[in-house]
Amino acid sequence: MYGGGTIFENIKGTELENEDPGQLAAFEARIDRGEKIEPRDWMPALYRKQLIRMIEQHAHSEIIGALPEGTWITRAPGFKRKMALMAKVQDEVGHAQLLYSAAETLGKPREQMIDDLINGKSKYSNIFNYPAFTWADSCFISWLVDAGAIVNQLANAKGSYGPYCRALDRICAEESFHLKYGHHCVIYLATGTAIQRAMFQEALDRWWAPMMHFFGPSDNISAHTETLMRWKVKMATNDDMRNQFLDMYVPKIWELGFTIPDPNLRKNETTGRWEYTEPDWDEFKRVINGDGPCNKERLAVRRIAEERGRWVREALQSKQNVYVTPLA
Amino acid sequence: MKVVSLDPRVNRLPEISGIDSISRKAPLDQFGTYEVFVQPKEGKPFQHEGIVHAPNLELAFLLAKETLTRRFMCSSIFVTDTRNVFVSPTTENDQNVYDLIPSAGPAQGNARPYEIFHLFKRGKQHVHAGQVAATSPQEAMWIGGQSLRAGKMIYNVWAAPTDTFRFTRDEERDLWLTLPEKKFRDAAAYKAGDKLKTFLEKK
Repeated sequence: MYGGGTIFENIKGTELENEDPGQLAAFEARIDRGEKIEPRDWMPALYRKQLIRMIEQHAHSEIIGALPEGTWITRAPGFKRKMALMAKVQDEVGHAQLLYSAAETLGKPREQMIDDLINGKSKYSNIFNYPAFTWADSCFISWLVDAGAIVNQLANAKGSYGPYCRALDRICAEESFHLKYGHHCVIYLATGTAIQRAMFQEALDRWWAPMMHFFGPSDNISAHTETLMRWKVKMATNDDMRNQFLDMYVPKIWELGFTIPDPNLRKNETTGRWEYTEPDWDEFKRVINGDGPCNKERLAVRRIAEERGRWVREALQSKQNVYVTPLA
Repeated sequence: MKVVSLDPRVNRLPEISGIDSISRKAPLDQFGTYEVFVQPKEGKPFQHEGIVHAPNLELAFLLAKETLTRRFMCSSIFVTDTRNVFVSPTTENDQNVYDLIPSAGPAQGNARPYEIFHLFKRGKQHVHAGQVAATSPQEAMWIGGQSLRAGKMIYNVWAAPTDTFRFTRDEERDLWLTLPEKKFRDAAAYKAGDKLKTFLEKK
């Protein structure tokens, strides 16, 4: 699942001053040639820092994203839906492991990343700070949040850092079932009873604003990311990703006869871009800074899991266990 | 802090009411990492698939099976501690890394087998090339350059002593036999085109 709307730090104009100009030029030339950067290659400290930040946020989003859907496994309608949702949630947690491994190759140990998550220092995708009230909310996540994530992940898989691209290739291959499963669930609700249709419409009404936030603040207010795009850390602007998602999925939502809760949503055929009511970015900032409906619960559940698993880790720990940075 | 969840299981967690009192995670309680190599199909070469964190080699094998061979076809895996893998420099363009690996000089001590892995393209995974007998990792790479290069462009080499690996045993080869039965993990199991078509026609 997820990988959108990464919050990058503002880049200061002085951050590249200490880099060796020759090495920096060779690094940029390699990226321009379309070659991947591997863990032991020289890289600017800023590239390393921003990649760790991005991959780590992505990994956290996978494990936190498993929580609102995981809640629905026991209540999913029927055995087949339960099996599918369980497999999907298992995949998401597996994706977190792949992503933590990719970030680790840059020098930040996994345990430090998990520590930063449960202490609130690292962010994760804002959309998982909202609750899944009904089965239809779970279906919305499986179909449309995953769809948004795939838009983002397919773009990032063409980025410059080898281990992240390899993890994303694998993740995208696994996601193909998630998207089909999610669409299948929504088609069943859409073609079902009036109550089922109303249930999905209500979920759509609840999740549309977080979905528009999903790709991150609009380009005119988001952090300066030209350097990150040149280095192929960020592969498209937030607005471009949002536009691509709308282009691919709004027609599919309309086809099912649902109403998207934005009277201004339309495609401008002249520009080819979607027009919409500007999302409430103050709400986005408020939630991402901890004041959303589920922030406390999400972190509490992770902290309790860490706490409850500690005795197992301690029992298995031995002096022979020595952590080193993984290879690739 | 009071957390009230929609999920009754969360509300039943005894710790949930005193969540702030839970101590910070113990620093660096992490396990070592193990490199995992997967053979997707009988006869195909093993390739590097990723890492797992584990307390020992045997558990690394088990976790590798769960983490990296849960979904796609697999016939065998092997794992080794990251610390056992010796890594050459990485080259680019038309620079073959084997041209940079010097001869290790006269052999000293007893030779042992090493597994050799090649990187054929930046951004791709290392692929298992074969086994050589050598007295040191550097010698193993040098011998690999003589016997396993096969005229190919190679950008990076890994060498690891064979006796440090946990291989799949013959009696374990049925571990992956049930993978094709798990249709619920397959996108093709979720066809709803007819249902959608009927719905659209009625509309």
